[in-house]
Amino acid sequence: MFYREAGQFKTSYRADEATFPILQDKIFVYAFLAVAFLVVPFFITDYSANAILVHFLVYALAAIGLNILTGYCGQVSLGTGGFMAVGAYATYKLSTEFPGLNLIVIVLLSGGITAFVGVMFGLPSLRIKGFYLAVATLAAQFFLVWLFNKVGWFFNYSPTGMIVAPPREVFGFLITGPEASPVVRYLFCLSIVTVAAIVAKNLVRGRLGRNWMAIRDMDIAAELIGIRPLQAKLSAFAVSSFYIGMAGSLYFAVWLGSAEPTEAFDIFQSFFVLFIVIIGGLGSILGSFLGAAFMVLVPITLKTIMVDGFGFAVGAAKHVEVMTLGALIIFFLIVEPHGLARLWAILKEKLRRWPFPY
Amino acid sequence: MAYERNIGETILSVDQISLSFGGVKALSNISFEVKEHEVFAIIGPNGAGKSSMLNCINGFYHPQEGTVTFKGQKRRRVRPSEAARSGIARTFQNIALFKGMSTLDNIMTGRNTKMTTNIFWQALHFGPAMREEAEHRTQVEKVIDFLEIEAIRKTPVGKLPYGLQKRVELGRALAAEPDLLLLDEPMAGMNLEEKEDMCRYILDVNDEFGTTVVLIEHDMGVVMDISDRVVVLDYGKKLADGTPDEVRSNQAVIDAYLGVSHDDE
Amino acid sequence: MLFFLETVITGLLAGVMYSLVALGFVLIFKASGVFNFAQGVFALFAGLALYDFIAEGGWFHDLFGFVLPVWLGIIATMGVMVIVAWLVERLVLRHLVNQEPIILFMATIGLAYFMEGLGDTLFGSDVKPLNIGLPNGAVDFLLDNYNLYIEKLEIFAAVVAAIMVTVLAIFFQKTRIGRALRAVADDHQAALSVGISLRTIWVIVWSVSGFVALVAGIMWGSKSGIQFSLSLIALKALPVLILGGFTSVPGAIVGGLIIGVGEKVAEIYAGPFIGGAIENWFAYMLALAFLLFRPQGLFGEKIIERV
Repeated sequence: MFYREAGQFKTSYRADEATFPILQDKIFVYAFLAVAFLVVPFFITDYSANAILVHFLVYALAAIGLNILTGYCGQVSLGTGGFMAVGAYATYKLSTEFPGLNLIVIVLLSGGITAFVGVMFGLPSLRIKGFYLAVATLAAQFFLVWLFNKVGWFFNYSPTGMIVAPPREVFGFLITGPEASPVVRYLFCLSIVTVAAIVAKNLVRGRLGRNWMAIRDMDIAAELIGIRPLQAKLSAFAVSSFYIGMAGSLYFAVWLGSAEPTEAFDIFQSFFVLFIVIIGGLGSILGSFLGAAFMVLVPITLKTIMVDGFGFAVGAAKHVEVMTLGALIIFFLIVEPHGLARLWAILKEKLRRWPFPY
Repeated sequence: MAYERNIGETILSVDQISLSFGGVKALSNISFEVKEHEVFAIIGPNGAGKSSMLNCINGFYHPQEGTVTFKGQKRRRVRPSEAARSGIARTFQNIALFKGMSTLDNIMTGRNTKMTTNIFWQALHFGPAMREEAEHRTQVEKVIDFLEIEAIRKTPVGKLPYGLQKRVELGRALAAEPDLLLLDEPMAGMNLEEKEDMCRYILDVNDEFGTTVVLIEHDMGVVMDISDRVVVLDYGKKLADGTPDEVRSNQAVIDAYLGVSHDDE
Repeated sequence: MLFFLETVITGLLAGVMYSLVALGFVLIFKASGVFNFAQGVFALFAGLALYDFIAEGGWFHDLFGFVLPVWLGIIATMGVMVIVAWLVERLVLRHLVNQEPIILFMATIGLAYFMEGLGDTLFGSDVKPLNIGLPNGAVDFLLDNYNLYIEKLEIFAAVVAAIMVTVLAIFFQKTRIGRALRAVADDHQAALSVGISLRTIWVIVWSVSGFVALVAGIMWGSKSGIQFSLSLIALKALPVLILGGFTSVPGAIVGGLIIGVGEKVAEIYAGPFIGGAIENWFAYMLALAFLLFRPQGLFGEKIIERV
């Protein structure tokens, strides 16, 4: 009853095109952001910040990227892990070669480099479609992981092959490195992700987003009405890789602290982000967040229940977790293939009518 | 019955077009001309190659021989998006709307060739990008108004009934403000009222904006009523062209439609 | 020269192993229109089940006190795979009729995760050697006379694969069920409307595919033991399928051979220059290169889009 939009009339096209046309939505989002920025920092312990919040933010960012490519533009990609690796290694090289560089600049540059690589690997999309394209992106995935494993220049010839994030600060606050405080890490990631999400929402609503969706829905018709497929597809790859690169950068520098390509960026990483996008809802920015929250919280919850609650061995718990994940994915795909975002929209519909049933 | 209008010079001419797929010859040596501001119909039995002809004009199929000259530019192979940018818009036999988007968004994609703000302004949204959106939205609303589809603006197109989808598709083509409008069976599957509406839209567009219309249609009543000139195709060959009356009394055309067998096929 | 010959032959035989796995994928893709990512896990699961039936260390022995002879074990495992096929149809496929391919693909990934977790939980995750009496070691004749090291097991696998391919090809082209399978692959709803029972067809196909998985599991398991990496076979089979086309049985064979040879030759001859271990991605790059020239694969059906 409080969710009705009765009385909210738009008197200009601009008003109609606003991000949150319904007043209640706007209030809700602003309140949520206020809590996230102003209230949460006071309640973070080291564990919760890293294991849950920063983890969530990083994956939400990656999911937005993948969503742009797969959800909005319809180009299936299984190379997310590889592109996150590009972002991570770019960050590593930039921060070791240019010690004075501001971390924000490094993160943005890493995104840019990944965008460039993404466009390279996206070129086949002009000839290949659908499932075959997914397999082509696998080529990118395997090649990139191999590259970062083998070529010493990328990990500064360290004998272990691992890369470690050197301590760097922004405006005097230490963000990376073991000394950095969890609050600072959290706020850094939160700021980046918030800005990124706003930009993504703007892109998706405008001409570029419509072109992407047109290519997704019927690329032949799109070309026939004047959309240039080259531009549309490559721009999707570029923007998507930019986001995924930034996510990889944060993943390595802020969350993990150190990384090794075969573990941190392998194909299971690609699947993980793809699951987030599917469970959250293809073609929805909100869905990226919901899906990331789901995929980060469920394993932790399961582990806590099984190991702490029922006393399972950690190994056995892992197997059950994998099983449950698989079952959950199938469940979601059957029950709501459009993901949590659709469920959320349905919930809002019901809220509109509440307390009446219809 | 064509009334007095400014029918201009030739805007589109098709010369000796031949098109084959593998061993199947879809079009053989087709030539005809379309004059600016007129309503031109392509008719013929099923499988005659009418849609293929439209696809050649559009750039979707590339004929093995022959050329298409539009607004003075002669070409045989052209990319569909370039054809669209030169002022050709079309609708399709099996609706080719973007099912995942709303009516409004679908018609807005029709304006795509006229939008120019680059990606950075788009990312920001405020400023030039927003102004451009509002401008184009105004134009699109005029099209929506013209086609009387205000009520379904925000509905995802996949949920609309067939007749409305066809109208939205026409809207998307009109939003591009084309010089040449290609309509592939715009009245298929419609009842009498819907057909009359569609006729009215086509004639209004032709009258108000001077858009040249080339349409494929099976309903002879409609064709004879609204077209200025007609070309008849059968088995990929041209049987006749001229005004509706001339074509109606052409013996070869009558034979084709009544199914008299031809020995020299 | 002799070394090159040996490399090529080893590559061919490795390729046959890939083809064997790819076959299972082609079957399901032909009939259900879905790429079953879980096929590799099926092979793993089948291998685990077989081991359990015939080895002393497994459940079956604990439960019943004896183990089955190999031939009975194989039949029993086949039974298990049929049950798995039936369950998959009932719980998963039935509810996803006519969804887009990407959704189906994701469902099979979920299935893969589930089956793998299940397999590990039921049977434990250590490597199990599979010893069912298949020929072992190098072919002495060739080794002694020509200095060629070729494994007997791989030749055996090649023969088995050849037989299976022939049988399957005949099955698809000549029988009524084969035709029904192809109809289902084309259009689920249309097949339903002419009275083809989707369910039966799917259970049949997934069972046959389970059988192929079993054979593949046996071959690979005899070679390197039943272990987790078997489940990643799916990833090896993909380049094979791309090359050959997803819907073609001969394509799976030819694709497998090309990838097998290509990989081995590249690893031996080009590997040392670039740092080795290029087997990981070479197959994919090769497949990608092919795709650019023939987007539907060597033998795949050309997709003609009409407007």
